[in-house]
Amino acid sequence: MQALLSFDKAPPFAAPLRFFLTAPLFALVAGVLLVAVGPDMLASRWSPGLLAATHLITVGFMLQVMLGALIQILPVVAGANLNNPLAVARWLHGGLSIGTLLLAAGFLLGQPGLLGSGALLLGASVSAFLVVTGRALYGVPSTSPTIRGLKFALFGLAGAVVLGIVLALALAQGWAVPRPALTDLHAAWALGGWAGILLAAMAYVVVPMFQLTPGYPAQPSWWLPRVTLGLVLAWTLALLLDSPPAVRLAQALMALAGIAFAALTLRLQAQRRRARADATYRYWQLGLYSTIFGLFLLLTATAWPALAEWPGYSLLLGVLLLVGAFMSFIVGMLYKIVPFLAWLHLQNACGGQAPNMNRLLPETAMQRQFKAHALALALLLAALVWPEWLARPAGAALALASGWLLYNLSGAVGRYRRHLSEKVVA
Amino acid sequence: MSHPKSKHVVDARYMEPPEPFVQTMEMLDTLNPGEPMLLLLFREPHPLYKVLRQNGYTYETELVADGTFEILIWR
Repeated sequence: MQALLSFDKAPPFAAPLRFFLTAPLFALVAGVLLVAVGPDMLASRWSPGLLAATHLITVGFMLQVMLGALIQILPVVAGANLNNPLAVARWLHGGLSIGTLLLAAGFLLGQPGLLGSGALLLGASVSAFLVVTGRALYGVPSTSPTIRGLKFALFGLAGAVVLGIVLALALAQGWAVPRPALTDLHAAWALGGWAGILLAAMAYVVVPMFQLTPGYPAQPSWWLPRVTLGLVLAWTLALLLDSPPAVRLAQALMALAGIAFAALTLRLQAQRRRARADATYRYWQLGLYSTIFGLFLLLTATAWPALAEWPGYSLLLGVLLLVGAFMSFIVGMLYKIVPFLAWLHLQNACGGQAPNMNRLLPETAMQRQFKAHALALALLLAALVWPEWLARPAGAALALASGWLLYNLSGAVGRYRRHLSEKVVA
Repeated sequence: MSHPKSKHVVDARYMEPPEPFVQTMEMLDTLNPGEPMLLLLFREPHPLYKVLRQNGYTYETELVADGTFEILIWR
């Protein structure tokens, strides 16, 4: 039976790993940018430095990890195999990394050429990824809420990218578009239609598996992707029909759907059978509470639009949802996925003699890095109130937490490689 | 543990990988031809499905209200 444990056709470790090791660098650069630019960067959501940093985090960090992880887990969660995953990983990683740098440089320097070429390169890379995953998922029936969620999320990603390209080209070419409303819509597709649905689809699998909680109840799990995507489409339609009350209604319902998902996940976590609060659990707790606070803020703004006029509103929402929620969920998952993959590949290479996962990536190292991330979040939030004092320390804290993440992940990979070479020598 | 669908049950809902896979494989080894076993999990085990297909097993999956996937396996 041991032979059956070998994971044939699982993508090589190098395929997802390049994404996981590059992503922290982009978050690190976002922190360094805040240190370099200082308090001016937090003056408005349209400040060039902030637009650059936001995309370093959303595209450079979040999208890198999400697409890299999908290459790895499509066979596991959907039974869908990509043709030649290593080749897909190579061109996708190159396109995403260069595209992110061009886009961020374009925002920061106000260079239309860089901005437009970054957006088009990212658009081409993501479109090609959508074609190869679409082909892999074609004909795969939606037998679980996870598979349905994945398909819906990929649709959401397409919407986010189309709007992103339109906005970048409008900015680069000076086209007249309703920029704030379209930017909000781009964020809704990116964070709700794509990242939010993907997160839920993955949570259905990984929360019970990693944290030994009960499962997500079936009916709400089937409905959440459908409701979320329906609301993003309703928001789009409301904007086309120029109906601000309908836009606010769609926003409010999306916020409520997200809050319900976060509250349900907190309830499942409270029933977990693993007594120890490991780094992944802490990261998810931080992420879930940040989600709830952020979405309550959004909900309040839909009922009381004056709040959305306050310049700090979008920044507060952005820090809570990006650094507080999505980055936390993602790092929490990386801390399970990277040691597990290292262990799995060693297990296959060494015939069942792989070292314990905790020796590949010690729990204490992850817990300490978690504290640095929580400190960065706290300082970023406080910096919105006292930018003169705290903008630079907050940037330094984000850079530190991201560098530490890279150090932890690289350490695990280094130990993996040492075990592998010892095995080869032996 | 027994279940209306089968008397041979692996309840892997609170087990960490790769334990559900290992225990399922061990139980399959003990079954007589035509005798089904039931695996309970909070996710669909696609890698296991593949191994089952390669080894001539048939399976039928049902997702029930509490989020449990009930996977009936026989050969």
